[in-house]
Amino acid sequence: MMSLPFFGFTLAFVGILAGQRRLSIALLALSLIATLVLFKFHATDALAISL
Amino acid sequence: MTPALSRTLNALGLLGICAVLMVAFVDQLAFGELPCPLCLLQRAGFVGVAAALALNVRFGPRPSHYGLMILAAAVGFTVAVRQMLLHIAPGDPGFGAPFLGLHFYTWAAIVFAVVIVGAAALLLFDRQFSFDPGLPTWSGLALAALGLGLIMALGNGVSTVLECAGGLCPDNPTSYLLLQEGGLKNFFAP
Repeated sequence: MMSLPFFGFTLAFVGILAGQRRLSIALLALSLIATLVLFKFHATDALAISL
Repeated sequence: MTPALSRTLNALGLLGICAVLMVAFVDQLAFGELPCPLCLLQRAGFVGVAAALALNVRFGPRPSHYGLMILAAAVGFTVAVRQMLLHIAPGDPGFGAPFLGLHFYTWAAIVFAVVIVGAAALLLFDRQFSFDPGLPTWSGLALAALGLGLIMALGNGVSTVLECAGGLCPDNPTSYLLLQEGGLKNFFAP
Protein backbone atom coordinates (compact mmCIF):
# COMPACT_ATOMS: atom_id res chain seq x y z
CA MET A 1 0.00 0.00 0.00
CA MET A 2 2.89 2.35 0.81
CA SER A 3 4.15 1.91 -2.73
CA LEU A 4 0.94 3.21 -4.35
CA PRO A 5 2.07 6.87 -4.62
CA PHE A 6 5.34 5.83 -6.25
CA PHE A 7 3.61 3.71 -8.87
CA GLY A 8 1.12 6.51 -9.47
CA PHE A 9 3.99 8.93 -10.04
CA THR A 10 5.67 6.34 -12.27
CA LEU A 11 2.55 6.20 -14.45
CA ALA A 12 2.50 10.01 -14.47
CA PHE A 13 6.07 9.98 -15.80
CA VAL A 14 5.07 7.46 -18.47
CA GLY A 15 2.18 9.74 -19.43
CA ILE A 16 4.53 12.73 -19.59
CA LEU A 17 6.92 10.84 -21.87
CA ALA A 18 3.95 9.77 -24.02
CA GLY A 19 2.71 13.37 -24.34
CA GLN A 20 -0.47 12.81 -22.27
CA ARG A 21 -0.54 16.01 -20.20
CA ARG A 22 -4.01 15.84 -18.64
CA LEU A 23 -3.67 12.17 -17.73
CA SER A 24 -0.29 12.87 -16.13
CA ILE A 25 -1.67 15.77 -14.09
CA ALA A 26 -4.56 13.60 -12.89
CA LEU A 27 -2.19 10.79 -11.88
CA LEU A 28 0.12 13.27 -10.12
CA ALA A 29 -2.79 14.77 -8.17
CA LEU A 30 -4.17 11.34 -7.20
CA SER A 31 -0.73 10.22 -6.05
CA LEU A 32 -0.38 13.31 -3.88
CA ILE A 33 -3.77 12.60 -2.31
CA ALA A 34 -2.67 8.98 -1.70
CA THR A 35 0.48 10.31 0.00
CA LEU A 36 -1.64 12.49 2.29
CA VAL A 37 -3.96 9.57 3.16
CA LEU A 38 -0.95 7.39 4.04
CA PHE A 39 0.45 10.26 6.12
CA LYS A 40 -2.80 10.31 8.12
CA PHE A 41 -2.28 6.60 8.96
CA HIS A 42 1.27 7.28 10.14
CA ALA A 43 0.72 10.50 12.11
CA THR A 44 -1.22 9.09 15.03
CA ASP A 45 1.14 9.64 18.00
CA ALA A 46 0.76 12.83 20.01
CA LEU A 47 3.81 15.07 19.81
CA ALA A 48 5.70 15.64 23.08
CA ILE A 49 5.71 19.40 22.67
CA SER A 50 3.60 22.31 23.84
CA LEU A 51 2.22 24.45 21.04
CA MET B 1 12.95 34.46 -19.30
CA THR B 2 12.24 32.52 -22.50
CA PRO B 3 10.28 29.24 -22.45
CA ALA B 4 13.46 27.44 -23.56
CA LEU B 5 15.49 28.81 -20.64
CA SER B 6 12.69 27.93 -18.25
CA ARG B 7 12.64 24.34 -19.57
CA THR B 8 16.40 24.11 -19.09
CA LEU B 9 16.15 25.37 -15.50
CA ASN B 10 13.33 22.92 -14.80
CA ALA B 11 15.40 20.07 -16.28
CA LEU B 12 18.32 21.03 -14.02
CA GLY B 13 15.93 21.16 -11.06
CA LEU B 14 14.64 17.71 -12.00
CA LEU B 15 18.22 16.38 -12.05
CA GLY B 16 18.78 18.00 -8.63
CA ILE B 17 15.74 16.25 -7.14
CA CYS B 18 16.90 12.97 -8.71
CA ALA B 19 20.29 13.52 -7.00
CA VAL B 20 18.50 13.90 -3.64
CA LEU B 21 16.63 10.63 -4.24
CA MET B 22 19.88 8.92 -5.28
CA VAL B 23 21.60 9.99 -2.04
CA ALA B 24 18.69 8.39 -0.15
CA PHE B 25 19.09 5.19 -2.22
CA VAL B 26 22.85 5.07 -1.54
CA ASP B 27 22.18 5.42 2.19
CA GLN B 28 19.62 2.62 1.95
CA LEU B 29 21.57 0.19 -0.21
CA ALA B 30 25.18 0.84 0.79
CA PHE B 31 24.71 1.57 4.50
CA GLY B 32 21.65 -0.61 5.13
CA GLU B 33 19.46 2.16 6.56
CA LEU B 34 15.91 1.17 5.61
CA PRO B 35 13.59 4.15 5.20
CA CYS B 36 10.86 4.56 7.83
CA PRO B 37 7.24 5.22 6.74
CA LEU B 38 7.60 9.01 7.13
CA CYS B 39 10.90 8.85 5.21
CA LEU B 40 9.09 7.05 2.37
CA LEU B 41 6.36 9.69 2.32
CA GLN B 42 9.02 12.40 2.06
CA ARG B 43 10.51 10.50 -0.86
CA ALA B 44 7.03 10.45 -2.41
CA GLY B 45 6.93 14.25 -2.00
CA PHE B 46 10.25 14.52 -3.86
CA VAL B 47 9.01 12.26 -6.65
CA GLY B 48 5.88 14.44 -6.88
CA VAL B 49 8.05 17.54 -7.22
CA ALA B 50 10.06 15.68 -9.87
CA ALA B 51 6.91 14.84 -11.84
CA ALA B 52 5.79 18.49 -11.76
CA LEU B 53 9.23 19.59 -12.99
CA ALA B 54 8.95 16.95 -15.71
CA LEU B 55 5.63 18.47 -16.84
CA ASN B 56 7.42 21.80 -17.40
CA VAL B 57 10.28 20.07 -19.21
CA ARG B 58 8.02 18.06 -21.55
CA PHE B 59 5.10 20.42 -22.21
CA GLY B 60 6.68 23.79 -21.53
CA PRO B 61 6.28 25.94 -18.39
CA ARG B 62 2.74 26.61 -17.16
CA PRO B 63 1.47 28.12 -13.91
CA SER B 64 -0.53 24.95 -13.18
CA HIS B 65 2.66 22.86 -13.30
CA TYR B 66 4.31 25.21 -10.80
CA GLY B 67 1.17 24.97 -8.66
CA LEU B 68 1.46 21.17 -8.56
CA MET B 69 5.16 21.54 -7.74
CA ILE B 70 4.38 23.77 -4.76
CA LEU B 71 1.60 21.42 -3.58
CA ALA B 72 3.89 18.37 -3.79
CA ALA B 73 6.63 20.25 -1.92
CA ALA B 74 4.09 21.36 0.71
CA VAL B 75 3.04 17.72 1.26
CA GLY B 76 6.68 16.65 1.64
CA PHE B 77 7.46 19.62 3.89
CA THR B 78 4.52 18.74 6.16
CA VAL B 79 5.75 15.16 6.58
CA ALA B 80 9.35 16.30 7.17
CA VAL B 81 8.34 18.84 9.80
CA ARG B 82 6.16 16.24 11.54
CA GLN B 83 9.20 13.95 11.78
CA MET B 84 11.39 16.83 13.02
CA LEU B 85 8.85 17.57 15.77
CA LEU B 86 8.80 13.87 16.78
CA HIS B 87 12.52 14.13 17.59
CA ILE B 88 12.76 17.73 18.72
CA ALA B 89 12.84 17.09 22.49
CA PRO B 90 16.27 17.57 24.15
CA GLY B 91 18.21 14.31 24.41
CA ASP B 92 16.36 12.61 21.55
CA PRO B 93 18.98 11.03 19.25
CA GLY B 94 16.75 11.39 16.19
CA PHE B 95 16.03 8.73 13.58
CA GLY B 96 18.93 7.32 11.56
CA ALA B 97 22.45 8.63 11.22
CA PRO B 98 23.00 12.34 10.53
CA PHE B 99 24.23 13.42 7.09
CA LEU B 100 26.53 16.47 7.06
CA GLY B 101 25.40 17.32 10.59
CA LEU B 102 21.65 17.10 10.02
CA HIS B 103 19.20 14.21 9.86
CA PHE B 104 17.69 13.37 6.49
CA TYR B 105 14.23 14.66 7.48
CA THR B 106 15.74 18.04 8.39
CA TRP B 107 17.52 18.18 5.04
CA ALA B 108 14.24 17.20 3.38
CA ALA B 109 12.39 20.09 5.07
CA ILE B 110 15.10 22.51 3.88
CA VAL B 111 15.00 21.21 0.28
CA PHE B 112 11.19 21.31 0.17
CA ALA B 113 11.27 24.91 1.43
CA VAL B 114 13.82 25.77 -1.29
CA VAL B 115 11.53 24.16 -3.91
CA ILE B 116 8.55 26.22 -2.73
CA VAL B 117 10.52 29.48 -2.78
CA GLY B 118 12.18 28.57 -6.10
CA ALA B 119 8.87 27.74 -7.79
CA ALA B 120 7.31 30.97 -6.50
CA ALA B 121 10.31 32.94 -7.78
CA LEU B 122 10.11 31.32 -11.23
CA LEU B 123 6.39 32.16 -11.40
CA LEU B 124 7.40 35.85 -11.42
CA PHE B 125 8.77 35.59 -14.98
CA ASP B 126 5.71 35.95 -17.22
CA ARG B 127 7.46 35.69 -20.59
CA GLN B 128 8.15 32.00 -20.08
CA PHE B 129 4.38 31.42 -20.38
CA SER B 130 4.11 32.89 -23.88
CA PHE B 131 1.90 30.63 -25.95
CA ASP B 132 3.81 27.95 -27.81
CA PRO B 133 1.57 25.50 -29.73
CA GLY B 134 2.73 21.93 -29.99
CA LEU B 135 5.17 19.96 -27.91
CA PRO B 136 8.68 21.41 -27.54
CA THR B 137 11.49 19.53 -29.21
CA TRP B 138 13.54 17.09 -27.18
CA SER B 139 16.97 18.00 -25.90
CA GLY B 140 19.55 15.62 -24.47
CA LEU B 141 19.24 17.28 -21.07
CA ALA B 142 15.44 16.98 -21.10
CA LEU B 143 15.55 13.33 -22.13
CA ALA B 144 18.17 12.48 -19.47
CA ALA B 145 16.25 14.30 -16.74
CA LEU B 146 12.92 12.67 -17.63
CA GLY B 147 14.49 9.22 -17.94
CA LEU B 148 16.21 9.54 -14.58
CA GLY B 149 13.00 10.82 -12.97
CA LEU B 150 11.10 7.79 -14.28
CA ILE B 151 13.79 5.44 -12.95
CA MET B 152 13.68 7.12 -9.51
CA ALA B 153 9.89 6.86 -9.30
CA LEU B 154 9.83 3.20 -10.36
CA GLY B 155 12.87 2.34 -8.23
CA ASN B 156 11.26 3.76 -5.11
CA GLY B 157 8.05 1.87 -5.88
CA VAL B 158 9.86 -1.47 -6.24
CA SER B 159 12.02 -0.80 -3.16
CA THR B 160 8.93 0.02 -1.10
CA VAL B 161 7.16 -3.17 -2.18
CA LEU B 162 10.24 -5.19 -1.15
CA GLU B 163 10.44 -3.40 2.20
CA CYS B 164 6.79 -3.19 3.18
CA ALA B 165 5.12 -5.89 1.05
CA GLY B 166 1.45 -5.07 0.45
CA GLY B 167 0.63 -3.27 3.69
CA LEU B 168 1.75 -0.29 5.76
CA CYS B 169 5.44 -0.24 6.70
CA PRO B 170 6.60 -1.00 10.26
CA ASP B 171 7.64 2.12 12.19
CA ASN B 172 11.24 0.95 12.56
CA PRO B 173 11.91 -1.39 9.63
CA THR B 174 14.88 -3.75 10.06
CA SER B 175 14.58 -5.97 6.98
CA TYR B 176 12.86 -6.27 3.62
CA LEU B 177 9.58 -8.07 4.37
CA LEU B 178 9.30 -9.53 0.88
CA LEU B 179 12.87 -10.90 0.92
CA GLN B 180 12.36 -12.85 4.16
CA GLU B 181 11.59 -16.55 4.09
CA GLY B 182 7.95 -16.92 3.11
CA GLY B 183 8.07 -13.30 2.05
CA LEU B 184 5.37 -13.59 -0.59
CA LYS B 185 2.89 -14.44 2.19
CA ASN B 186 3.68 -11.02 3.62
CA PHE B 187 2.53 -9.34 0.44
CA PHE B 188 -1.09 -9.49 1.52
CA ALA B 189 -0.38 -8.96 5.22
CA PRO B 190 -1.62 -5.66 6.73
